[in-house]
Amino acid sequence: MNWAFFCSLFITALATNLSNSEQYQEELTLRPLLDGKVAAHFSFSTLLRGAVPRAPSSLGTDDTSQHYSVFPLALGQILREHAIPEFHLTINSGKWDYDRWGHPGEPGVGSGAELWAWMGDGAYASVDERWKALQNSLSGLFCASLGSMDTLHTTSPTRAFPPTGDLPRLPAPHAHSLRHATLPAERVCTENLTPFLKLLPCPARAGIAALLEPHKIFDADWHGLGVHVRWRAGAGVELTLTVQVVLDPVRISAERRRDWSLRSLFDRSIPRACSIATSSVIRVMPPSGSKVGEYALTPETWASVNAGSVLYDLTNDTPELDIAMRWPDEQRFSYSLEMSPLSDLSVRRTLKGSSQTHGELSIVIRNNQPVTFRTHYLETMPWHVELFLHTLSLSCAHSEKCDSLFTNMTYTPSRPHDRPALLQAIIELPPDETVHLSLRVRKAFLRYQEHPPDAQRGWDLPPAVFVPVDRPHRRIYTSASLVDLATPDFSMPYNVIIMSSTLIALIFGSLFNMLIRRFVVSKLDDEVPTSTE
Amino acid sequence: MSSSESPSRQAPTPPHGLGRLRHNIKKSLLPGDNATRIRTRRRIVAFAWRYLDMLRLCLLSAGCLWLLTLPVSQLGVDTYIDENALQPSQVNTYWNWVDVHRADRLLEDVSLLRERNLSSVERATFFATEFAKCGLPSSTQTYSIQTSHGTLNGTNAYAVFSAPRTSGTEAMIISASWKSMTGGENLRGVSIVLSLAAFLKQYSHWSKDIIFVITDNHLDGMHAWLGAYHRPSSANWDAEPLSITSGVVWTALNIDYPGHSFSHLGVFREGLNGRLPNQDLINSFRTISQQTSGVPVLLYDHYEPSEFPGREGIRSFYPSWLPNWLWERETILEYGYRAKNILRHFAYQARGRASGPHGSFHQYRIDAITLFAVPSNGPHGFYALGRAVESTLRTMSNLLERLHASFFFYIMTTPSTFLKIGSYLPSAVLVAAALMIGGLREWVKAGWVELEECQSGPGKGDAADIPSSSKKKWAPRRRDLLDVFVVMAASHLVGLTLFVIICREWLDIGLLSFIILPACWVVLMLAPWKSPSLDSSVSTAPLHTLLKAINMCLASTLISVSSVLNFSLAALLAVTLGVPLSSASPSDSLPERGIKCALYTTLAFGWLAFHGEVKQGIWDWEVLGVWFSPLVCLVYVPLVLQAGIISSLSP
Repeated sequence: MNWAFFCSLFITALATNLSNSEQYQEELTLRPLLDGKVAAHFSFSTLLRGAVPRAPSSLGTDDTSQHYSVFPLALGQILREHAIPEFHLTINSGKWDYDRWGHPGEPGVGSGAELWAWMGDGAYASVDERWKALQNSLSGLFCASLGSMDTLHTTSPTRAFPPTGDLPRLPAPHAHSLRHATLPAERVCTENLTPFLKLLPCPARAGIAALLEPHKIFDADWHGLGVHVRWRAGAGVELTLTVQVVLDPVRISAERRRDWSLRSLFDRSIPRACSIATSSVIRVMPPSGSKVGEYALTPETWASVNAGSVLYDLTNDTPELDIAMRWPDEQRFSYSLEMSPLSDLSVRRTLKGSSQTHGELSIVIRNNQPVTFRTHYLETMPWHVELFLHTLSLSCAHSEKCDSLFTNMTYTPSRPHDRPALLQAIIELPPDETVHLSLRVRKAFLRYQEHPPDAQRGWDLPPAVFVPVDRPHRRIYTSASLVDLATPDFSMPYNVIIMSSTLIALIFGSLFNMLIRRFVVSKLDDEVPTSTE
Repeated sequence: MSSSESPSRQAPTPPHGLGRLRHNIKKSLLPGDNATRIRTRRRIVAFAWRYLDMLRLCLLSAGCLWLLTLPVSQLGVDTYIDENALQPSQVNTYWNWVDVHRADRLLEDVSLLRERNLSSVERATFFATEFAKCGLPSSTQTYSIQTSHGTLNGTNAYAVFSAPRTSGTEAMIISASWKSMTGGENLRGVSIVLSLAAFLKQYSHWSKDIIFVITDNHLDGMHAWLGAYHRPSSANWDAEPLSITSGVVWTALNIDYPGHSFSHLGVFREGLNGRLPNQDLINSFRTISQQTSGVPVLLYDHYEPSEFPGREGIRSFYPSWLPNWLWERETILEYGYRAKNILRHFAYQARGRASGPHGSFHQYRIDAITLFAVPSNGPHGFYALGRAVESTLRTMSNLLERLHASFFFYIMTTPSTFLKIGSYLPSAVLVAAALMIGGLREWVKAGWVELEECQSGPGKGDAADIPSSSKKKWAPRRRDLLDVFVVMAASHLVGLTLFVIICREWLDIGLLSFIILPACWVVLMLAPWKSPSLDSSVSTAPLHTLLKAINMCLASTLISVSSVLNFSLAALLAVTLGVPLSSASPSDSLPERGIKCALYTTLAFGWLAFHGEVKQGIWDWEVLGVWFSPLVCLVYVPLVLQAGIISSLSP
């Protein structure tokens, strides 16, 4: 009797807690693309209603006790421990093809790992110390090598990465500052997904998270995980976990057809709804390039249709759900030969020049819209690639100079062996115009301890970022690139040691010989006296 | 020094080696022995000076003989794979008859292109469309190159397969040129690249982007494409910038398949200006071709002696007067086979010529080879080639770093053996050493004159005195270098003029050789620069000695420096310059001078008689930037001319 009473009390408390202070929503958007691929965007967001980020000044003291039921405790502790009001972590594999796939649901699609956080100062630990601690905590949580985001990688590009939520007001002299770092060579794999899934209330058993099957996710042409924490003044702390995948049904299918179903794409269907979620929907966008009658979408038990996009609601107690899209009249998918770019901008960045001392950074930007387009340009260069700003030049159509399009430049020069250079500017792109930006660079000569173990691979350059001025959350990342620096032949340390030892022995030997030698005059019997050693 | 003391001056030697050594060291430290040591040292110097010519001769002949021993099988070392990441022939290949069928269908279309005699733009557009049908972003690139013989035009087609799951920072290239090295069209090579594009796209295991390039013509198309990919701006090239690019390219394969089927796959490796790809690439391909697709690998298109036409090919390589029993011996046959391979390599490398379109890659640090499907009646075709290429691409895709482990300096003697740098480099360096010693000797000779005792020389009894007969005395003299430099500058100017004339084609090369050979001989014989040597006094060195000293030292430096950059070129220079420059000397008799001048003139300008070769050299320089023709005109000709000038003088 007593036990039953307490049990029911606990459940009621939990339920009220859930409905009031924590809210969990999940959404999957499926978007069939022009080249037969399917972009899937999973979004799991938890709102900690009424929560306020911890004030940095309270960091030295004991924290107030926190109680979460849906919000992941491991992440909540990290946020409180380092007083982080907002941070974004993305780990991606692949190169997002903006021209063919359009803009992603979540803008952070740069290759490799990217972490940026807004932090307030005024704590006993400096922002940089907490930034380091945040990296280490997150690398522990997600099994990623984020800890190597040292000062060599960290910048503060406030113009391109404004806070997406609100920042709490700080007492007078203190302000919030941004820390941003990219590791272009970091790969995402199962060891990242497993701890990621553990943060979800319904991990891989119910709801749309059931579709996250590692074999299929990591075989996708493009895949990425994202963790986004922000604070919205009226609402509370919001955590959004995202998984983005671009799958290729044509590659999977033996007949080279683009038909897909949840089972064919993810090797799973949705067994049941996640009962904790306040909303759980699957949105299927209409395939671009196909007319309405050409394809069939099953099951036809959708909740609503809005401008061609179909909504499935999972909160009702639906049985097992497997959504499928078919093109019954199509024997084999044929790629369309003319594809107009789907993104606002098309950007191509290359590092030219095969020399190991100098090169040229060349960026080709095309405005795909019929209107003038203003965009922030952010370039982060590790110190070993030194930009020659005076060589920066822009040319438009017919190789005409148009340097006037490049305005509002701020530049933080690099500090050798320490800090990367940061170049931010605004580029104004004329309608339907291609602009070529070129900038000469010098490649540094590294100390031999500074070379990575795979020295002959080259150094990764983080992607440049373009942020439209009027749409700051539609960032465009260029591809990462490799730069070849002069590299010693590490495969022959033995030869090098022998060679240099011999040289040193020769030089030292002859010098030593001269220094200690006694010069005397000696008389030869048959000749004149000769001065010699 | 102590160990080389003459035995007559030594005290009774202790029995044991170590004790003797200690004794010698102690003895050399004794102050009373200085005079002995100085005397011994002088004796050694005098000995070396006396037999210096012998030493030079020894070095020269040792160097030349060493070159002849390069094909000996005992010098070769077995090839091996050094880079652990490559793992060649360790994968299952998926290339199958469906893909062969697609290649066959594409071949029909490509053959139609040739029959309809389409322009290169139409051809490239067709290829780009075929790539686009596979779902790959593709484009074309037109280029034109200004040469002295007119403009060279062409259009390349290319496509980039962005490998799934990769960031696209690295790439590998698979290419085919429209023209084969045999002169015909590379129809099957182009078809298999198109078919591979559709096939390779089906897999997600690639760690690097794959770029497919179908270039126009034979060599210039690839050169233009790579220039646009890597260079910020091309100077004399008018090449369209590429609209699709990928990351850093590490490795590349070029396919040349001119026949209807093939028996062997030949590997061509020589790049422009004598660059070579990393040997790991060749070794991995050989392993894969033999183990995965069962196709034997050749060097170039040279059959091995063990194969059917191999013996005949090697027999034709030997002179016909050689007795039958000799060339039938296995060792002789093997020597001939290896010599044939080395000579083919020398022919490409010394002239800086690329043996295929892969040659343009090496200057951008891309390791590349051409696979040549040796035309034959069978038994292999698209199936075997596709499997070999797929597996090689898998191996290249395994790379985590650039190829850096194995050898960049080597001479392949057979597909499975090679010469390490240590076993061939000394040959050229020995010749260079002989030249350097000769040059330094001339320099010393120029600084000293042997006078009779009665004459009191200004520099009496200096440290460098060389003990000689008691009657004579060595006296220093002035080495006036101005005349020498004027003569040298003039000879280099002649070389430059010759180069400009050849490049601009102001005169027909045949006519030029008819004019320049006798004219040069006459000028040498008339020798207007003889006058300063006539009034030369004993106090200044004669022109010929100084000229010879500097000439030989220069030649020696040239050979030793180029030996590590381009060994074949160094060997060629060693052979052509070694003996002629060493034996240049003034003479009294007019007929002897005439003959010598004629010989040197022929050596300097004789190559003009090979019209085709000269034209090809100039084309290589203008289009591909090969340094061989400027080097011959600006360095080789002046050096030989200087030797001619020395011989035209009277002592």
